[in-house]
Formats: sequence, structure tokens, C-alpha cells
Amino acid sequence: MRITLRGATALLLFLACVSGSAAADTTFDRNVPAQPRGAVDISNVSGDVRVSSWDRAEVSVHAELSGGIEQLDVSSEGGRTVIRVPQSHSSGRGGEAHLQVKVPKDSELTVSAVSADLTTAGVLGVQRLNTVSGDVTAELAGADLELQTVSGNVHLKGHGQPARLHVRTVSGDLHLEHGAGDLEASTVNGNLEASLDTARSVRARTTSGDVRFEGTLARGASVDATSVSGNVTVRTGAEGGYAYEVSSFSGDIGDCFNAAAERTSKYGPGTRLEGTRGDGAGHVRVKTMSGDIQLCDHR
Amino acid sequence: MTAPPDTNGGKVTSLRELPQSIEPARDLWPGIEAQLGEIPAETLGAGTVPPRRRGQPLRWLAAAAMVASVALGVWIGRSLLPGTAGVGTPPVSANRTAVPPLAPTALDAAYVSDPRYAQQRAALVQALQARLAALPPPARAKVSASLAAIEKAKQDLEQALGRDPGNALLQELLVNTYQDEMRVLTDVHEASDPGRGI
Repeated sequence: MRITLRGATALLLFLACVSGSAAADTTFDRNVPAQPRGAVDISNVSGDVRVSSWDRAEVSVHAELSGGIEQLDVSSEGGRTVIRVPQSHSSGRGGEAHLQVKVPKDSELTVSAVSADLTTAGVLGVQRLNTVSGDVTAELAGADLELQTVSGNVHLKGHGQPARLHVRTVSGDLHLEHGAGDLEASTVNGNLEASLDTARSVRARTTSGDVRFEGTLARGASVDATSVSGNVTVRTGAEGGYAYEVSSFSGDIGDCFNAAAERTSKYGPGTRLEGTRGDGAGHVRVKTMSGDIQLCDHR
Repeated sequence: MTAPPDTNGGKVTSLRELPQSIEPARDLWPGIEAQLGEIPAETLGAGTVPPRRRGQPLRWLAAAAMVASVALGVWIGRSLLPGTAGVGTPPVSANRTAVPPLAPTALDAAYVSDPRYAQQRAALVQALQARLAALPPPARAKVSASLAAIEKAKQDLEQALGRDPGNALLQELLVNTYQDEMRVLTDVHEASDPGRGI
């Protein structure tokens, strides 16, 4: 029995060593000088990319590489730092790179990936994040965000600082909390769930995904949400109130302030709900074909 | 029906003596219709009643014309955006995935009446299978589901527009859906482009 236990322990140690070496064949570390408000471009196919910020005028790269990838291409010139993961074609298997990158906090960041997941934190400059199937998690500051993914899910967390946020997915979900400013989001069958502390403009569009918006509108702000078959829920309040126009071809329209939806046609389907909350300074427009619509005050 | 006036030399002294309507001696509609060139005269019998169902295609045409006018404007705006140029990739055979056929439907015909739009869309659709095959498998399955959702949305909207051709809400949603279809096709094209990414 003692021999068996010893053998099992040895086997476990061996497997741990094998799996460890498979997870990271090699590591890569490099620091390059960078401008405090420069641009940082990162691209990776598979694995993940984690970007954080610091107060130094340099970019730090730590990577764990496997699958035949042995090093990264890192260059810094003219205020632009480029980090690329070269693909290994000789190994016969897809390589993976797990990157941890530190950038000057005011950097303008661009990251492109295929199946790699992206995470950013503490970056104060403009962020442009693109993936095909990787998930994206990003912390928002007051700078603009351009985010595009095909099937990856998106999690955004802001701090209530106004910015222009443009998010586009095909099937990925969007979850945004504590956003502010302008949001333009679209997806086909992903769900959009956005919470904005103070919104100036919100435009959300899906084909079959659900839309859920919650937040306060700045004076004169607008919310436009459309979906073909997704359900749309809007919970909002506004400085100066808002006028609302809600219409659906065959979906149900509900509200939390006892307004009754009217039929748009005497003989065919279609309902519409129109009215004003407060002074009607803002605008809320929601349209669906068959999706249900719910309009309520923001608590 | 009022009786015809006296044609045997009787004089009409008042408008009231004239009939309010006169029935033709035979059904004139087949001849009129044949001259319009829509249905050959020989297919219509002498006493054929004008087919009332002809209103249905006309309503479709009216809906299609309205959608086309809106859609054309939208597409012209979209065609100025980067990302859709140079999509004329030749068709490449690839493993078939469960992607719904993106066949033109009744309102497609109106929407794609602009030849440049039709060319771009056809090129993207032709290259779709190969482009999907280049995506990571999980992404491929999700994109296929998205394209299926778009296809269903188009069918549902067109069906609803068939019942209510003048519905502005449905027209707007249909145009949105066409835009989304082009966007997805373009995104898939660019996402699977080696060395480029989306």
C-alpha cells in the first residue's frame, strides 16, 4: 500500500510537471521606453491579454508562451509601442500566448485578438478593443471606447465619467455598469444590459437579443432602442423629464405609470404608447416587431 | 340599373333623362387586360371576372418600393463607410456548417435593386462558408446562430409587411435588419481575414 501511495504521488508530480510545461513552454519579459500619452498596439491570436496601467513612462511585457511560440515582437518608436505575437507554423499546433502588459496610464490602447480574452484596467486613454471569439472585460475611464467582437461577451465597468462608448457584437452579450455619456450598442442575438449613471445619448439595437437599459438621463438626453423580436426594458428618470414614444407591431407594451397603450390600427395589429414625464425635455423611443416592451421610472 | 335612353329618334330634353350608368354589351376586361400585356387574352374567357387577387401583388410592390427607397438611402450612407470595400472574394469551397441559406426573398428583390449592393452582398454570401470555416469553432457556431436569427427576422418582418405594407415601423425594422445582415457578413469577412482581424 505504501508503495502504491508513493507511486501515485510520483505520478501526480510527473503529471503536474508535464501539464506545467505544456501550459508555458517559455516565458518572455521586456521593458521598453514609452511616451506618457503614447499609443500601445497589442495583437494576439490565442491565449489572453491583460493590460493594466502605471505611472512610469515605459511599457512592461510579461508573457507565458506555448505551442511553439518562443518570443514576442516588441518595438517602441515615435510614441507608438507595438507588441505582436508571431504565429508558429512549424510546430503544427496552435500556439498560445498569455500576456501581461503594463502601460503608462494615459496611453491610447489598441488590442486585436482572435480567440484570446482581453482584460484592461486603469487605462485612461482611448481604448479600441477587437476580438473574434474572445471575451472582453474593460474598466472605463473618461475616454472613448470602441469595442467590436463577433461572439465574445463584453463586460464593462465604469466610474460614472462621461465618455463615448461604441460596442458592437454579433452574438456576444454586453453588460455595462456605471457607464456615463453616450452609448451606442448593437448585437444580433446577444443581450444588451446597460446601466448608466448619467446618459446623454443611448442607442441600442438587436435583432433577437433582449435590451435592458437602466439609468438617469441628462437634460435633453435621448434613448433609442429597437429590436425585432427581443424584449426591451427601459427604466429611466431624467432631469427635466422626458417624452416617450413606444410602439410594437405584435409585442406587449407595459409601463409602470398607468398609461394605456393604444392600438395603431382599427383592424390590424400594432400598439403605441406616447406621453410625457415631467417637462418632457428628454426623449425615449422604443420600437419592436414582436418583442415586449416595458417602460418604468428609474428608482 | 337605369334604362338606356331612347335611341329611336327621341330627343333628350333633360339630363335627368340620361342613364346614370350603362352596362357594356359584353365584358371588356379581358381585352383591356390583354392589351396591358400582363395576362394573355386567350387565357381569359369571355365572361371572366377581373381577378381581385391582383391587389395582393400590387400591395407587395408598394411595400417593396417604399422599403427600397428607404433602404437605398441607408445603403448609400453605409457604402461610404470603410470596411465594406474590396469584398469581392471569389467563392471558395469549404466544409458546410449549419448556416441558413441567404436566398433573396420578395422584398430582397426590391432592396437589392442597386447593382453595387447586390454585387457586394453576393460576394460576401459566396465567401461566407469559407470565412466561417476560418473562425474558431465556438465562434463559428455562434455566428451561424446569429445569421439564422437575422434570416428569421427578415422572414417575419416580410410576412408582417405582406399583411400591412404601409407599416412604417416594420419598414424601419426591416431596413435595420438588412443593415445588420451586411454588418455581420462584413464582420465575418474581416474577422476571418488572416493577419487582419476585425
